[in-house]
Amino acid sequence: MSTAKFKGKWVPWLFMLPTLIILAVFLYYPVIQTFRLSFYRVAFLGLKTKFTGLDNYIDLLKDSNYHHTVLVTLVITTAVVVIGLGISLFIAMLANQKIRGAHIYRFLLIWPFALSPAVAGVVFLFMFSPGFGVVNYLTSLVIGRELNWLGDPTLAVILIIMASIWKNLGYNIVFYLAALQNVNTEVLEAASIDGANAWQRFWRVTFALLSPMTFFLLITNITYSFFDIFGMVDILTKGGPQDATNVMIYNLYRDAFEYYKTGLASAQSVILFLLVVLVTLIQFRTSGRQVHYGG
Amino acid sequence: MKATKWLAIVTLLALLLPLVAACGATPAPSTGGEGQPAQVTVEVTRIVEKECEEAPKEEIPEGAIVIDFWHAFGGGRKLLIERMVADYNYTHPGVYVRVENKGSYRDTLNAAILAAQQGNPPHIVQIFEVGSQLALDSGIFIPFEDNAPEWVNMDDLIGGVSNYYRFNGKFYSMPWNSSNPILYYNKDMFRAAGLDPEKPPETFEEMLDVCEKIVGSGVAKNCVSWPLHSWFFEQWMANMGAELANNGNGRDARATEVYLTSDAAKTIVSWWKEMYDKGYYAYSGKLEDWDGADAIFVSGQAAMEITSTSDVVNRQNDAAENGFELGTGYLPYPANSERQGVIVGGASMWMSGGHPEEELKAATDFVTWFTNTENAVRWHKATGYFPIRKSAVTVLEGQQWFERNPAYRAAFDQLLNTKDTKATRGAVIGAFPEVRTIIEQAIEKVLAGQATVDEALQQAKEEADKAIEDYNKSVE
Repeated sequence: MSTAKFKGKWVPWLFMLPTLIILAVFLYYPVIQTFRLSFYRVAFLGLKTKFTGLDNYIDLLKDSNYHHTVLVTLVITTAVVVIGLGISLFIAMLANQKIRGAHIYRFLLIWPFALSPAVAGVVFLFMFSPGFGVVNYLTSLVIGRELNWLGDPTLAVILIIMASIWKNLGYNIVFYLAALQNVNTEVLEAASIDGANAWQRFWRVTFALLSPMTFFLLITNITYSFFDIFGMVDILTKGGPQDATNVMIYNLYRDAFEYYKTGLASAQSVILFLLVVLVTLIQFRTSGRQVHYGG
Repeated sequence: MKATKWLAIVTLLALLLPLVAACGATPAPSTGGEGQPAQVTVEVTRIVEKECEEAPKEEIPEGAIVIDFWHAFGGGRKLLIERMVADYNYTHPGVYVRVENKGSYRDTLNAAILAAQQGNPPHIVQIFEVGSQLALDSGIFIPFEDNAPEWVNMDDLIGGVSNYYRFNGKFYSMPWNSSNPILYYNKDMFRAAGLDPEKPPETFEEMLDVCEKIVGSGVAKNCVSWPLHSWFFEQWMANMGAELANNGNGRDARATEVYLTSDAAKTIVSWWKEMYDKGYYAYSGKLEDWDGADAIFVSGQAAMEITSTSDVVNRQNDAAENGFELGTGYLPYPANSERQGVIVGGASMWMSGGHPEEELKAATDFVTWFTNTENAVRWHKATGYFPIRKSAVTVLEGQQWFERNPAYRAAFDQLLNTKDTKATRGAVIGAFPEVRTIIEQAIEKVLAGQATVDEALQQAKEEADKAIEDYNKSVE
């Protein structure tokens, strides 16, 4: 395959210009501003600023509420990513079977992903509401009790985890399905001829061949559960009860837009950014070696 | 493949159906309850504005002065405001008011601040009452009273409203939608429990008694709901004559601490906890969940609800739809304190600076028109918010409005019977949004049994004082 050749060195830049402008205005400039504002005490979203150096960062590192926020984020992220990918892989394997209506199942499984987070949040809110929610009606039939999903700290965390996993299932299943369909059945047959049982065939062949996809999905799911979980938290629990579901992204939104502590929120943004970069770097280092590319 | 194709088509059509259905169901509009006699039986007057009809899009007339007006109302109220603005534009050629809903109260304030940063603030912004100190500190807004024409009678505003919105003796904003908390109750459930449906409970102790009968007789699962919102805590403090903040409740000088560990505060939170422990008080589990509390009352899970008077129309409609008779009463208070009254909630209209003289005049003219006597009457009837002008009250009484619509009466009398003290004037705190969350989380902790009343309030006081200190530092 030959690459296209442009006449003149600046023509490629011309073609890239629209993208670069959009990236610069909507991505790079806000990021730079956020970094800058994290060193100021800012009032009213920028009307008054006062340089305070590293004060915002020091305040955050000393604040036990912030430590709790980070802990909550790590717990929820780990649960959403690990359990989410596990369930998605399981469902993808089921959907990959040659059964009647397989196409229909695959089509229906992608649906949750197409919902906006706000809509999904409202649906879950109605389902899990005390008193008139469907879920509590079912639990009262089965175990004779209604559960306080929104008001109990542990249950609220479980609810957020469940809702976030459900929302992202479609995305993960699509990718896993595509990867599964690329798994060469000859390798599987060879393994079963060699005497591998179903469990060994799965782990040592299928899962190993899925590793590039798993690696990719790990990164996207981590990004999802650090950032996109905001919609669920805002609609379902608003960070409560008692900050039990107060993830970092919700905490910084609240500090910025409800309490008008823009400088502090910017510092939290920077810390969140560094955390995600760190996690991704660790992933590349450790898992990079375990990923098998090519059939 | 064919089956999948059909399935896809059918599914897509099914997805589109709800969109069509939503706009199709239009409840029949009524004439606003004016000519209709009061119905004391189960059929309650239904006041409805057509839901799905968009206000006609108008072209901005040539040469008209354009005024931007941002507010935080949605649903029926948004349509009502648009209609009022259309009336103004029609009767005032040369001025065109562009009205826009910017989201919640907080979203609207944020949008206004951001617009001001870019040098293009909207002329008129609706700002919630506890955002007043924020609005004052931001430097964006100019005092309304300085620009109001002299014939505008600010003395015509009723006491509770003017006492709240006068800062340092001046009106910086024009009061618009004012409300206070009242007790809504289900008269049918009262009858079923053997209680007098015309006598709602008035004190904390009576609430406990009434609730014992209601829950005990199995008429309802719980007795009363209200949102877990600091607003109610603040109202009870004022009702007991206790100030929330120092320095004259933040009105004599900038507030630097809050009195969360006062006896009044402990009485309130202890009663709240007792009601919750006995299963009388129910809430959705989420903080500040107005809709959740409404749902608990309307669905019949509770026999009473404490919420804003601005929901009178909504509750009446809910009662009509669900087939029960609605009653209203005063906010309950502890029997051993003297009832002082309530603080107005709601919002006011602030005007931003930095506009040319003619735009300023037009904006002032609009604000004055929007809150004049006729419009105050109209706004009250369509929403349930107070008629903030004494002249509007006179008109309504002349029409025997309160006799024909007794649900509106309780809220109104409660405000008129409020004594003017620093406590009932309402606190002015810059970091109010954060302080409110701190108070709510403390109450949440107490209800969940994770802290005693004293511990939770002590911790809340420390956190709140720190938040206030940080805020004050940021604006000095």
